[in-house]
Amino acid sequence: MSIERNPDRPRIDAREKVLGKAQFAADRPVPGLLHAMTVPAAIAKGDITAIDVERAAGVPGVVRVFTWRDFADIRETPATRGGGGDKPGYQPMKRPSVRHRGEPVALVVAETLEAAIEGAEAVSVRYRPSSFTASREQPGAEREPVTVDHRAGDAPAAFAAATSKLDVTYLHPQQHHNPIEMISTTAAFVDGKIVVMEGTQNSAAFKFGIAGMLGQDPQSFESSSPYVGGGFGQKNQLQQQSALVVRAAMLLKRPVKLVMPRSQLFHTATYRPLSRHRVQVGAGADGKFEAVLYDIEQQNSRFDQFGAAAGEHVSRMYATPNWRSTNQRVRVDVQAPAHQRAPQEHPSSYATECAYDELAYALGVDPLELRVRNDTQHDPITGKPFTSRNLAECLRRGAARFGWDRRKKEPGSMRTRDGMLVGFGVGAGAYKASMSPAVAKLRVNADGSSRLAITGHEFGQGMRSAVAAELINVLDIDPNRLEIALGDTSVAPQHITVGSWGCASSAPAARAAAELLRSKLVELVGAGRAKGPVASAIARARRPFLEVEVSQAGLEQPATVFQRLNSGMPAPVGPEYKQFTAFSWIAHFAEVHVEPSTCRVRVPRVVSVCDCGRVLNHRTAQNQVRGGVVWAFGAALRESAEIDARFGRILNNDLADYVLPVNADIGEIDVELLDVPDTNLNISGAKGIGEVAMVGATAAIVNAVYHATGKRVRHVPIRIEDLL
Amino acid sequence: MRQFTYTRARTTAEAVTAFGRAGREARYIAGGTSLYDLMKLGVERPLHLIDIADLDEMRHVDTAGERLVFGAGALMADVAENPVVRRDYPMLSESLSKAASQQLRNMATVGGNLLQRTRCPYFRHGAGGIYPCNKREPGSGCAAIGGLDRGQAVLGTSSACTAVSPGDWPVALTALDAVVELTGPAGPRSLPIADFYLLPGSTPDREFAMLPGEIITGIAVPKTAAGRRSTYHKIRDRESYAFALTSAAVALTIDGGRIRKAHVAIGGVGTRPWRARQTEVLLEGRPPTREAALAAAHAAFAGARPGKENAFKLELGARTIADAVVIAAERKV
Repeated sequence: MSIERNPDRPRIDAREKVLGKAQFAADRPVPGLLHAMTVPAAIAKGDITAIDVERAAGVPGVVRVFTWRDFADIRETPATRGGGGDKPGYQPMKRPSVRHRGEPVALVVAETLEAAIEGAEAVSVRYRPSSFTASREQPGAEREPVTVDHRAGDAPAAFAAATSKLDVTYLHPQQHHNPIEMISTTAAFVDGKIVVMEGTQNSAAFKFGIAGMLGQDPQSFESSSPYVGGGFGQKNQLQQQSALVVRAAMLLKRPVKLVMPRSQLFHTATYRPLSRHRVQVGAGADGKFEAVLYDIEQQNSRFDQFGAAAGEHVSRMYATPNWRSTNQRVRVDVQAPAHQRAPQEHPSSYATECAYDELAYALGVDPLELRVRNDTQHDPITGKPFTSRNLAECLRRGAARFGWDRRKKEPGSMRTRDGMLVGFGVGAGAYKASMSPAVAKLRVNADGSSRLAITGHEFGQGMRSAVAAELINVLDIDPNRLEIALGDTSVAPQHITVGSWGCASSAPAARAAAELLRSKLVELVGAGRAKGPVASAIARARRPFLEVEVSQAGLEQPATVFQRLNSGMPAPVGPEYKQFTAFSWIAHFAEVHVEPSTCRVRVPRVVSVCDCGRVLNHRTAQNQVRGGVVWAFGAALRESAEIDARFGRILNNDLADYVLPVNADIGEIDVELLDVPDTNLNISGAKGIGEVAMVGATAAIVNAVYHATGKRVRHVPIRIEDLL
Repeated sequence: MRQFTYTRARTTAEAVTAFGRAGREARYIAGGTSLYDLMKLGVERPLHLIDIADLDEMRHVDTAGERLVFGAGALMADVAENPVVRRDYPMLSESLSKAASQQLRNMATVGGNLLQRTRCPYFRHGAGGIYPCNKREPGSGCAAIGGLDRGQAVLGTSSACTAVSPGDWPVALTALDAVVELTGPAGPRSLPIADFYLLPGSTPDREFAMLPGEIITGIAVPKTAAGRRSTYHKIRDRESYAFALTSAAVALTIDGGRIRKAHVAIGGVGTRPWRARQTEVLLEGRPPTREAALAAAHAAFAGARPGKENAFKLELGARTIADAVVIAAERKV
């Protein structure tokens, strides 16, 4: 099936963002708004013996101080935080106890933000602390049984028989998303309903999940999240404060807003958990993989359901006849971890792509050649073909763009003119191509304006631009007069937008709506007169507008999937389908320069070539890759939560001390998108890009550091002291 | 929000008087880039703020005389970009331009910068009974000792405190024997910068040799020909907007291919800006090569007491000094 490629188009919401017209959750004006502030627990675990609110209540402007007594009846449901699954999560402030450092123990609501802060500081809490475990290495860490997550052939036997063997362990630290838009909750009353405004990737959770937790009818709630200032997976579920703020507003019968301070977010919001990765590879002398044994240990909270599941994509990366990956969770007394951009895929690609690099050097095979040699068009786990896999093409094109042929084999053998050690590194990645059901309602007016209401969330990734592209292509509508309503339960049913399935789910719905509208027009005026810009044809037909609604399921999904969508339940499909397995693919090449004296590592350039199916908007897609590479740079060389296990606290809990990359750190990032439609998957030919963007890029940088220095550092971030 | 009063002084004398009236819970404020931050963190809880940002008498930058004279209220950005400072004292300019961000340098003053408090995370993030800290709450203990100490000092530490002195500018000033001009209830006085910063000892809450109510009015730097062959070399965890892991301020007089006189001070490693006198002595008479410099540089850390994770600062610090010597020596006079 042939389908048009999208030309270069500006981001459709660029203008309103530049003008500051795009309103983020906490910016939206609400008359009569009260302000809330939380009091974070000062202990890591134990009981609350007394809360003295008298002084706080006396602060001028304070309206009410809530404690656990006010919230004890909030229900812990599967929608409650805890990383998914069907088990109830953990909601703080339900009981006089503390399960992790920093969880809210009181909520102060006041007429002004200043009064709320002052009131929160005036709340006096007495605790009976109990002993706690803050790290997997401490006594009291609870090890769950090891589970096998993916298997093919007989990996232990094949590994034992392999001629070349590698057995290495890589460590990945705890990381925090830190989206620039703070996490906030506002509960307001509009037309007899409670409207929850929170920057989220999952507005349905704020209608159905909050209702469930508060024992209310979901139909009395709406949730609105039209713009999100970065989500990265931290905004894909109810937050610790969400139900508390809504309940507070209901009790006070006034709208309430809470913007959680960043220092508290480090102890209340989700994060990427610390993980340990043992990779054993058995290979032939030619570098062909015979067996991979991959064991992940991940640090979790006592109560979350967040799985390591780290074998899902790495088992599909190469032709591996014998594969076994296992997961083990180790539970300690912290808040729940959950998804962070390329959640399992980033750490697992880091570990395996570095291990394969080690194998390549051990065998004397070019690391690029090792990857190409192990290419496959069939999923090693299911034996099915991939819907589309152009990884070898990504590797070849990337190598050409990068100038990989200039690489000298020996580590430490390349230098710049001014004496910097030069390293070249390669890493590859994949991310599942999933889809979810979506509903699109499209109305095109004869005056040339149009409105699309659709399932999906815009968090800067370009959702609006992606769905607009399909309307422009099919209907030739005016993008400047197109209104797109999304992320709002009152405009269309909403599905959680995560897992890189957002655009590949919503764009096909938009395309289907556009095609339906076009065919309605043909019915109305005949094929000949229906050509060209659709608004003119509608005008010629003397109709004020045409309107359609479509419900677009993901591939192979039954109609019943819309029941799940309409009740706010997650309903994704993939990456395993009846006929095939589907992934997006990427290859990254990094050049690093290491200063020989003080061992500062710089990354002057990265080349990334991605197979994400058909490109919906080149600018937003390329931005996704650049952003992913920046994240990967941060993971390789900058970011880590510094946890003092004596206190169970994150020591660097602000943006000054949590070391993120700055502009001066980032060199050239050269992105190529293959733009090969995958019409096996959906009518838009689209696969995800936001997550795959960073998968494998950290390994490319780490591998380049090895090539520059000859030092194999098996933890990230690599810091100066690791190379001195 | 905690209540405090705010007074905007029109003259230095008015500021000192206002401080005297307000008492010990008062703070002078100029750029506010540090104090507001610490107030939000609950580390500083002043009841009175006396704003000295408008004092014209403290804004001057005078490079004409025998000393460079910087009014305490001159902005970091302005001094960093001063053409004479850039040409004749690149070390001073670089120590300012490599600090903070442009936005902060546009607000912060060179006098206020001398009083920047430590970035020890246990000090900053521990108010309200979270972490003990002898600097924040005398007698409460030190969480950094036995804790995460990668960023802590290795020189000048005590059993009460290992907090590192955060500044860049003060390190450069220390290398060049600057003098801090003060005024207060008892009138004006001058202090060599070497006497301005206190070692923590058993009183880490006392950081500066200032008397209650005193204001820094200016900073004077004796001119030296070594200024042109100088640099402030700063090694940090990222390329910009980070405090030093190690830094070195080096100014050299070179004669016949050999170092005749060296000024060396180091940052990121000491509980105060640290003059590396032994290194200076060892450098004199030596050629400005990296090898010679590295041998001399190690002497700066002879008395170092590293903790669990910061021992790398000894080697890194020495290499930083050595690289700075090479950079400074290559500068044109």
